[in-house]
Amino acid sequence: MQITENIVTFSFNGKSFQAIEGQTIAAALFANGVKKLGVSRKLQQPRGLFCSNGRCASCFVSGNGMDHVLSCMSLIENGMIIQSNESDPDIRRKIDGD
Amino acid sequence: MDKSTIVCRCEEINVDEIETVIKMGATTFDDIKRLTRCGMGPCQAKVCMNLVNRIIHDNTDKPFSDLTPANMRMPLKLTRISALASSDQTITSVTSVFDESLQEVGETNREE
Amino acid sequence: METDLLIIGGGPAGLSAAYEPARHGLKVTIVDESLRLGGQLNQQSQVLDLPSGFAKQTGMKLSQFLQDRLLNYDVDLLTKCTMIGTYKDGRIGVTDGNTTFSIRSQKTIITTGAAEDSISFPGWTLPGVMTIGAAQILLNREKVLPGKKAIVLGTNNLAFEITKQLNESGVEVIAIIEKESTVDVDADNIAYLKQANIPIYVNTSITRARGPGEVEKVLIDNNGTEVAFDVDLVCIAGGLFPILEPFQVLGCELIYLSELGGWLPKYDTNFETSIPNTYVAGNAAGITAMKAIMLTGDLVGISILDSLENYNSDYVKKRKDSLWTELAKAEQPEVWSARLSLIKEFELERKYVTSNR
Repeated sequence: MQITENIVTFSFNGKSFQAIEGQTIAAALFANGVKKLGVSRKLQQPRGLFCSNGRCASCFVSGNGMDHVLSCMSLIENGMIIQSNESDPDIRRKIDGD
Repeated sequence: MDKSTIVCRCEEINVDEIETVIKMGATTFDDIKRLTRCGMGPCQAKVCMNLVNRIIHDNTDKPFSDLTPANMRMPLKLTRISALASSDQTITSVTSVFDESLQEVGETNREE
Repeated sequence: METDLLIIGGGPAGLSAAYEPARHGLKVTIVDESLRLGGQLNQQSQVLDLPSGFAKQTGMKLSQFLQDRLLNYDVDLLTKCTMIGTYKDGRIGVTDGNTTFSIRSQKTIITTGAAEDSISFPGWTLPGVMTIGAAQILLNREKVLPGKKAIVLGTNNLAFEITKQLNESGVEVIAIIEKESTVDVDADNIAYLKQANIPIYVNTSITRARGPGEVEKVLIDNNGTEVAFDVDLVCIAGGLFPILEPFQVLGCELIYLSELGGWLPKYDTNFETSIPNTYVAGNAAGITAMKAIMLTGDLVGISILDSLENYNSDYVKKRKDSLWTELAKAEQPEVWSARLSLIKEFELERKYVTSNR
């Protein structure tokens, strides 16, 4: 972690949050009380951080339009638009203008 | 152990489903994988492998030294197709990554 | 990409392994999938017991030191790069997330370390239930409190180490639970837990975790009696095991030894696996303490120099001997004797048993 702390602002499911530059997406969300990052594919059960090491594939989010981002292995960025991982990605998506 | 407990988090396979296929004759992780999809999700058995081997051990008389790890294939981690098909220069390398995977004895090569 | 020495995994073992080869003029490339090098060191706020020549320091400080001392040499550091496969001609396939490329090297060391084993129970998939290492990462590396009230499942070294760190950061650890009927706890840990008022419940297992979208309560079976605790953090300390995928795809022969964490690659006194010029060190070579992790890293680097005609000086040979002497004293006896039996068995096999590959 850097000694100098820069604050970044990002959104999760449309809601605005702040975090410290250098934190992972998962940590930034956790720090803001967001533990549920999405739901499981088959049984639609809540999912979040489990191993925090890029192995368990439980912490998927969509970040800046990219689906299935491992939030524990990616850094939070200023202005990032994050959405929870709710289901299989739709090829036609509103954010793509369809 | 509660039979409804999830073992494979990715594909959401529970203890009961795994024990059922063991009763049907599954003896290895790979057998269970092919019958239930356990280990076929995004983590590719990284989390469930030891849990499943423990269940096999508890339901059969196989020692852990006989329960070989789940067969791993490339790519070893989640990789985007765009990263694999990245540039004209590496197109032949891309085919290589999948084609030239080390083969187990008895497995046939993929035809190009 | 071409290099003399390729190291997959830039944690304590990989960073240690790089040093002597780099100092002797080899071109070294370190590949690590994480955002930063240092591996498990980056989450360790405790002061570590380290090899001779190192001042006692926290994992986080040591991580920086091990990286800094490579700066003067020809060392390429590739972070956010993941080994995803191998080529028939021995090249390693790596992706940086945007593109995929191959690395050809004379020697390859795999120091990908260990993964945490899980304990499954109804509700373990709920957010707020995580491996104890994940809680430590949030706490020490990300500067985020992983919860307010916690329960810890398991009584291994990590469980005690991290319970202490959680407690000191203001997380209320309600209890440590252990399913066996007895547990070996060293005096320091007993004293700490006593003054921190953290009980260990033996003959106890977790029945279920529940909550609306995240864990808020656990039910435990304490010797036949059901007890409920309000917690927002469940730390699973299932133990560590060597990460296997790189070895499997390289075709390395594996062996099962529970004292070393389960399945791991076979290797000889040079830490060379069954695949020529492919080596192993660190937790990947058997779960052990930090001092030994670093010593095995030093040993594999020195052994590689010893195997190269232009580098096997008297200094190298002497250093190899002193490292083995230090390693013998550094490890828990069960780990050390398991390691020796692995090496002995492998060397005898290679000498007297014809391979059928």
